[in-house]
Amino acid sequence: MAHATSQGVKLLNGFKAPSRFEKGLGAQLPDAYKKFWREWKLTKPAAVHYIPKEREWERDEVTHAIKPVQSIPLPLIDPPESHQGIWGGEAVIKGFQKRQQTKRRVPHFWVPTLQRSVVHSLVLNEYMSVVVTQRTLEQIHECHGFDHYLLKNLACDLRSTLALRLKREILKALQSGCPALAAEPKLQSEVLKEYSPYLESYTSEEIEWYGHSYLEAIRKLQNQLRAAEQVVPHKVEFRSKLIEQLREAGIKEAGKLETKEAQPSAEHKDADIEALTKLESSPSSSSWLSKINPFGKKET
Amino acid sequence: MLKNICVTQFNLLKSVTSLQQQVRTTFVLKRKYDPLLHKTNQKPRRMRAKHFIYELVEDTLVKKSPNMEVVLKTFVEGVGDKGDVVSMKPNFVYNKLLLPGLATYKTPENIAKYAKTEAEKSAVKHSSPYAQRTVNMLESIVLAVIMNKDEPWVIEPWHIKASLRKAGFHCREECITLPKERIEGPDLRKENKEFNCTITINKLEQANLKCRIHHWSTDPSERLPYVLEHWKLPSEPLLDVGLPERSETPEKQA
Repeated sequence: MAHATSQGVKLLNGFKAPSRFEKGLGAQLPDAYKKFWREWKLTKPAAVHYIPKEREWERDEVTHAIKPVQSIPLPLIDPPESHQGIWGGEAVIKGFQKRQQTKRRVPHFWVPTLQRSVVHSLVLNEYMSVVVTQRTLEQIHECHGFDHYLLKNLACDLRSTLALRLKREILKALQSGCPALAAEPKLQSEVLKEYSPYLESYTSEEIEWYGHSYLEAIRKLQNQLRAAEQVVPHKVEFRSKLIEQLREAGIKEAGKLETKEAQPSAEHKDADIEALTKLESSPSSSSWLSKINPFGKKET
Repeated sequence: MLKNICVTQFNLLKSVTSLQQQVRTTFVLKRKYDPLLHKTNQKPRRMRAKHFIYELVEDTLVKKSPNMEVVLKTFVEGVGDKGDVVSMKPNFVYNKLLLPGLATYKTPENIAKYAKTEAEKSAVKHSSPYAQRTVNMLESIVLAVIMNKDEPWVIEPWHIKASLRKAGFHCREECITLPKERIEGPDLRKENKEFNCTITINKLEQANLKCRIHHWSTDPSERLPYVLEHWKLPSEPLLDVGLPERSETPEKQA
């Protein structure tokens, strides 16, 4: 049975469904995007909503029995609103509360306290009004600035597509030498000196593919593929071939055989086509009667 | 407590990445019932509803946040001078100092960068960060100078000093500069007329104080009728009394 499948002998260890990077367009995504994906989705974020247990073993307080620590993370929910603001790693927690010992558990959502504030990006030279939490502001202060906060933290800790988008913009701006600060060359050089160490961990392709969601990355890839293959209509292709053949045969209406230019330019090609269309239409243009289409729609 | 100290010591010995301490300003939860143990290197067991019962360990949002230290880039009224390291509440620091670009974060580089040079130190522009506040308060009030209606008087600095004390300002007589012209009384034509005098703060900043003369008698039947909130009403300036001299070189003033 195993030999008949595409997975072959690997099926013996159980069937493995192809992941999003193994099928369809996802398989064509570059390694730069996969690196970002690993940083975003497959890295364990910093402890925000729980106190991490650092030790391997712990003693039960009541029985004094020793047991291993198996910390299972609390499931966190990222609502769409969290991607429109910068919540600093916080998320919504869905669970239950046991308010009294004799009463049934009660469902409860722990939602972060949000506030609207202004953040200032020195690299982009812009003030932005965003929804943040107190934790975001504290982290900004701890990192000594909004740009440092975005650049220092991993994508899994930023936990917001808005923050990731801004991070990409900042990295791009740093790569192109801070065009927003072009009016103040002294400040520009200072900023570049301060923030350029962050560029070392990214290549230009990685910056290009940083901070896109999966769907955005697929769209980007599709656009790239579409731009790469230029569809030329067969009509144009065959016409130019025909003109070449006519020229080789030495027919004077097709123009002279060109020896100066190895590759005829696109404009010239168009000119040829126009000339040919004129050639085709020239005998019929003499009589106006031939232009009339008796089966066409009546003009009023 | 002892545990915490041990942890910090341990962290110092670790690599640089762990030096950045984790800040928690949110709900910190823990499970009320721990899930059963699972085999190592295997998937955790399927959890039951009771494993999603959480208990609040701490809500760090309700804790008082410690003050923040920043370096001032320029002179800020009521806060400090250029290059000062000030410690204030984080919200005030962020909204009023960091976002407008009046201050930066406290780092050794920033302290060195924004330290006052010798030339800036010698050119004193402000005696203290709080002097301008006093100037603003003095310039916003209308001082009622209450004089005797029966006995003759000439306005002297101590009259202004006493009136200022009634309004809640304590100042010395040397700081008060009156107009050059003598203001004599009692004269009911001067009732509710305005004149200006200058208050010098810390021998440097000068405030223009608006004063109005009111007459008052010890005999209740002789007193003028009380005007409600007279400081809000417009009044005429006292004739033939000019502005007091404002010294151009404040250092020379006593």
